Amino acid sequence: MKRKNYIGLILNAHMPYVRHPEYPRFLEEDWLFEAISETYLPLLRMFRRLRGDGVKFRVTISLSPTLCTMLSDPILQGRFTNYLRLHQKLGEKELVRCAAEAPESLSLARMYLDEITQNLEDYFEIYQCNILEGFKDLEDSGHLDLITTAATHAYLPLFSQYPTAIEAQIELAIQTHINHFKRRPKGFWLPECGYFPGLEEYLQKEEIAYFQLAAQSLALAQEPAKYGNYAPISCPNGVHAFARDFNLTSLVWSNQEGYPADPNYREFYRDIGYDLPLDYIGPYIHEPEVRVFTGFKYHAITGKGDQKNIYRPELAARKVLEHTENFLYEVEKKGRKLAPLIDRDPFYTLAFDTELFGHWWFEGIAWLESLLRKADQGESVVFETPTDYLRRYPDNQELQPALSSWGEGGYSDVWASGSNVWIYRHLHKAIERMEELSVRFPNQSSLKQRFLNQAAREVLLAMSSDWPFIIHNGTFVTYAESRIKDHLGNFNVVYENMCKNAVNTEWLVKAEKRNIVFPDIDYNIFNPDSDRIRYNG
Amino acid sequence: MITVNIDALSISELRYIAKKEGIDDVKLMDREDLVETLKELYEEQMSTFGGEGASYSPSTQPRFMNTIVEHELLNSVGPLPGVEPLPDFYPETRIYLLLKDPYWAHAYWSICPTDLQRLEHKEVPFEFFLRVSILKENSQLVEVDSFDIDVSREDTSWNINLPERGCSYLVSLFYRDEKGNNGLLSQSEKVFTPRCYWMDHLDKLQKDRACFTLLTSSLVTKGGVMVENPLLKEVADKLDTWMDN
Repeated sequence: MKRKNYIGLILNAHMPYVRHPEYPRFLEEDWLFEAISETYLPLLRMFRRLRGDGVKFRVTISLSPTLCTMLSDPILQGRFTNYLRLHQKLGEKELVRCAAEAPESLSLARMYLDEITQNLEDYFEIYQCNILEGFKDLEDSGHLDLITTAATHAYLPLFSQYPTAIEAQIELAIQTHINHFKRRPKGFWLPECGYFPGLEEYLQKEEIAYFQLAAQSLALAQEPAKYGNYAPISCPNGVHAFARDFNLTSLVWSNQEGYPADPNYREFYRDIGYDLPLDYIGPYIHEPEVRVFTGFKYHAITGKGDQKNIYRPELAARKVLEHTENFLYEVEKKGRKLAPLIDRDPFYTLAFDTELFGHWWFEGIAWLESLLRKADQGESVVFETPTDYLRRYPDNQELQPALSSWGEGGYSDVWASGSNVWIYRHLHKAIERMEELSVRFPNQSSLKQRFLNQAAREVLLAMSSDWPFIIHNGTFVTYAESRIKDHLGNFNVVYENMCKNAVNTEWLVKAEKRNIVFPDIDYNIFNPDSDRIRYNG
Repeated sequence: MITVNIDALSISELRYIAKKEGIDDVKLMDREDLVETLKELYEEQMSTFGGEGASYSPSTQPRFMNTIVEHELLNSVGPLPGVEPLPDFYPETRIYLLLKDPYWAHAYWSICPTDLQRLEHKEVPFEFFLRVSILKENSQLVEVDSFDIDVSREDTSWNINLPERGCSYLVSLFYRDEKGNNGLLSQSEKVFTPRCYWMDHLDKLQKDRACFTLLTSSLVTKGGVMVENPLLKEVADKLDTWMDN
C-alpha cells in the first residue's frame, strides 16, 4: 500500500489582553482589530469555502483564552466595528484619490475596500459580532479541532517552581475554553513551545491528550527518538507530544528562505499610513499625528531598496500556486526519503502563529487554501489533527522530551534576557503572595471574593509571555513595561489591604472596570490545598 | 526601536522614523544617509544572539506591531489610584535561581534589612559571595564541586555561567567577614541542566545513516541551516571533528 504523509497543521491564534474603553481609540487595541480583519475573518471565509466545496481537511487551531475573552467582549466588538467602518471610509476616499492621482493602484484600493465590506458583512450577518461562533461551527462540522493554551499565554518553564501558578494557568484555560465552545479541549498549545520535563503532569490532570513541542525537543532527549520528529512520543505519564518539523515550517516561516519573501508578494511595510501626507491620512491614523499601518498597501516586495513595483495580485496568485506545488513536492520527497527508515506513515507537525497568514503574509491564506485543495485532490498528503493520528497510532514510544522552546537559542533566553529578567523577582513574589492570600482567605464571598478574584486576574495578566517578548524585541517596550508594573502594582494593593483584612471598594470597582478578563475566575485556583474546581464539558 | 528591514522603507517612512528618533536635519538627508544613520543607531539594539539559525526562530518574527517605530505611551493609561511603584526588592533574605538555558542561569536575591543590620552590628567588615554548587546523581544528589562568585552589597542579581551539562546546580548566598567566618544567608532551589543522548553516542550517528537522517532531516532548513540550539551545535561540531578525523 502506498504510504501517506500526514500533516498536522496547528495554528496558534493569540493576542494579549488589551482593552482600554476609557479612551476613544487606543493604539495597541488595533493589534486585535488587524488580526480579526486581516487573518481571522478571511481564514474563516476560506475554511467555509472549502467546506462548501466538499474539500476534506482537518486543521487544529488554538484559540487563546485572552483572545476568546476579547473576541466575545461587547465593548471590543463595538470598537472593532468602528475600526472597520473607519477603514471603509478610507477605502472609499482611496478610490477617488487613486482614480485621479494613482490609477495604477486603483484596482488594489478596490480590492481592499471589497475585503473590508465583506468583513463587515460576515461580522454582522454570519457571526453576529462573535467570530468564535464561526470557529465552533467549523469544529462542529468536523473540519477544525479547537484547542487551548495557557490562560494568559504564560511562558511556563520560568514558573516551573510555582506549581500552583501553572495549574491556575492551565485550569483557567480549560474552563474558558469550555465556556466558549462547550467542549473540553483534547490538545494544549504550549506558549512559545516552552516545555520543561514534568509539565505533562499538569496537563494530564486536565485530561489533555497532547501538546506540541519545539523542533529540537526530541533530538535533545536522553534517549533517541525512534521516529525522529515524524511521530509523536508518549511522555512517561501517557500524554503525547508532537515536535515541530523545522525543515518544513521554515519553507513558510522564515524571512530568509520562506515563501513570504518572494518579490511578487505584497510588501507589508509599505503602507499609505506612512506614504501619504498627513492632511490626507490624518483622520485614519492615530492622534496626535501618529502614523500607523492602515492595511492599504500597494507595493510588491520587489527586492531590497525603496524602488518597489506596484503589487500585482495575478502575479502573486501564480506564485501561490508555485509555492503550493513546491510544498507538496517537498513533503512527498521527504516521505519517500523516510519510507525505508520508518515502519509507519510519518506525521509532520507544522505549528505556526495564525497571524502569519493574511496579516504578515498577505497571500498566506490563499496559499493555505490552495494547499488544502491540492492535498485533497491527491492521495499522498493528508491534513489531519494530532487527535486523528493518535487514533490511528495509539501506541507510541515512551520518551521524556527535553527542556526547550521555539525562541532564539531554543530555551528561555528571550523571556529572561538582560532587558526583561527583572520582572521575575516581582512575578514570583506576587505568585507566592497570591497563594498566601488563597490559603489565608479561602472561599470568601461578596466583596472579599471580588477583591481576591481581581488579585488573581492581575497576577495572571502579569504572567503573560507577551510583555517580556515585546520588551526583548524592543517594539512597544513602554506599553509592555507599564502593563507589567500596573498589574503587579494592582495586585499589591489587594495584598496590602487583605493583610489588614480590608477591601478598598472604590478601588476594586475601578480595577474590575479596567481588567475584567475571565469574568468567572475563582481565586481559589491559587490555593495549593483546596480541591480543584472541576468543569465538565 | 525599529525592527524591520530598513532598506525596504520609503524615504518618507525613513524621514518619519528618523524624526521620531530625534535625528536633526532630516529634511537635508538623502535616502542613503538616512539608512546609514538609522542602521548605526539600531546596531546595538539588533539581535544579541546571532547564530545562523536565530533568524528562523519564531521569536524573531515581528508580533503585535501596528507602527514601524515605537511611540511613547500615546494614551497615558497610568496606574490606578493607590498603586505604588514596585519596590526594588522585598524585605526578606532569599536567593532564587532561574535556568535560562543549559549554559546560563540567572540568580536574583534580596537581603532583609534586619539581617543586614545584624551583620553590621558585629562591627567586623564583611562581604557577600555566591557559592554555586554542582550536584550529581549518585544514588542521591550530592555536591561534587562548587565555585564562588564575589558580589558587592549593591548587587542583587547575577548571570552565572554553568560549566557542565547533565547535572544540577544550586546557589547559596553567603557573607564572609574579615576574620574568615562564613555564614549562609539563603539557598536557592535546584535547577537541572540537560545533557542529550547524542552527546555521548556520536558513533551511532556516524555509523547509522538512517539514524542520522531521522535526527537531522526535520532540524535543518532546505538551505542547510540548523535550528538554533547550543547543545545541538555542540553535537554537530563534535560530529564534524569526528568525521574529519
